[in-house]
Amino acid sequence: MSRFEYRAQLRALREELLAMSDLVCEALQRALEAFEARDAEIASLVVEGDREINERYLAIERRCIELIARQQPVAGEMRVVVATFKISTDLERVGDLATNLATYAIQGERHAYPEVDAGTIGRHALAMVREAVAAYATEDAEACYAVADRDEALDRLCEAANGIVVHDLLADRGPDDSVETLLADVSRLFLTIRDLERVGDHAVNLAARTLYMAEGNDDLLA
Amino acid sequence: MATGENEPLISTAVTSRETERSARADETILEARGLDVHYGEDRALREVTAEIPERKVTAIIGPSGCGKSTFLRSINRMNDQIEVCRVEGDLLFRGKNVYDDDVDPVALRRKIGQVFQKPNPFPKSIRDNVTYGLRVQGKSATDDDVERALRGAALWSEVEGKLDSSGLDLSGGQQQRLCIARAIAPDPEVVLMDEPTSALDPVAASKIEDLIAELAREYTVVIVTHNMQQAARISDETMVFLTGGELVEFDDTATIFENPANQAVEDYITGKFG
Repeated sequence: MSRFEYRAQLRALREELLAMSDLVCEALQRALEAFEARDAEIASLVVEGDREINERYLAIERRCIELIARQQPVAGEMRVVVATFKISTDLERVGDLATNLATYAIQGERHAYPEVDAGTIGRHALAMVREAVAAYATEDAEACYAVADRDEALDRLCEAANGIVVHDLLADRGPDDSVETLLADVSRLFLTIRDLERVGDHAVNLAARTLYMAEGNDDLLA
Repeated sequence: MATGENEPLISTAVTSRETERSARADETILEARGLDVHYGEDRALREVTAEIPERKVTAIIGPSGCGKSTFLRSINRMNDQIEVCRVEGDLLFRGKNVYDDDVDPVALRRKIGQVFQKPNPFPKSIRDNVTYGLRVQGKSATDDDVERALRGAALWSEVEGKLDSSGLDLSGGQQQRLCIARAIAPDPEVVLMDEPTSALDPVAASKIEDLIAELAREYTVVIVTHNMQQAARISDETMVFLTGGELVEFDDTATIFENPANQAVEDYITGKFG
């Protein structure tokens, strides 16, 4: 492989990651729509779409392995390969969490806790992923720090939502709610909140790897 | 820095250094201060300032003509043999300037041995090759000395029982390890290597690379290499010379190959320059 072709492959690698991130963000957006609208059709699109995300992930992994094996990248080029490899794993996990969310959307019979605003939490998490991906595309170190800063707000939203659920769990839910129904609703909502919190964590990982890629700075990796 | 004036560079004495070695780990053993080397009108090194740590592998990389071999040769005064060569600035070995008038270059080279690009054993027996350095000092070499040097060069198991056969009958990789055995037999403190694997096949080169890591437990190794992956694999510290004989960056090898401070270094190691 010539140096010219090698550099073209590095560019292609980054473009592949951005294309994968488009799919992941779209999946998460749809999962949120499905969750809020309890729309089984949109939810099934998310579940079916996860296969393509996984294929893209494996293609990126293969390209990274080949570049490492055949070109032994160093310095900034090595950081691009390593960061992209790690970020693809985080994106793949966000895709899985979007699938989980879509699955929860069509389980159960009702919105058990309308006072828990999962949509807002989800949109916050989605925005973090989008901003982290944009930082990767432009190698914007400041934007990486901004994503990491936003995670605190997401954690607070998730904490507050958990508090509502726990409070209601301890309170009397009324004669219509069987213990089984109550537990199913509570568990599902806990999982939803936990998964959205994890989306934020993955977004921070994206930002941390991007900062490392752009500047060799591992501030956000700790 | 260590002892300085008392080092026996001006005599033929070889001290027992085992205790000194353990006490001196991670200390600077070689230091260049504003080192300039000219060949006639050409300036081959430009105010090189660097501290090379003891018992580490320090790689020197850079494009052809950048001054890396000149720097290596200036450490044990091999440049003395070039008539038009002029050295300015200081090159300190344990605090003593090797260019001081009272330094005997032959004694210096026993403390700072060298291995060259092409294996160059003498047309003599394996034993005679190994003991050459000791005999030059007027010392008798025992079988134990020969075995120690050959073991140190990872060659003993391949030549045991045929020490009286010619060194030239060995393979290229074995010949290079024989040259390493010859270099370490007088018990030097520093081993300089000038592209020691470039004339070898990958398997033989790989054995030398493994050996270099072993050598660094006992000796300070300074190696010039054109092979950047080799520098990345085997060295602890890396010096990067670019055109004009300028030392552009000197840092631990992981930093040089992960996140060099100098853009020209990044361009060089990623193949965009040189």
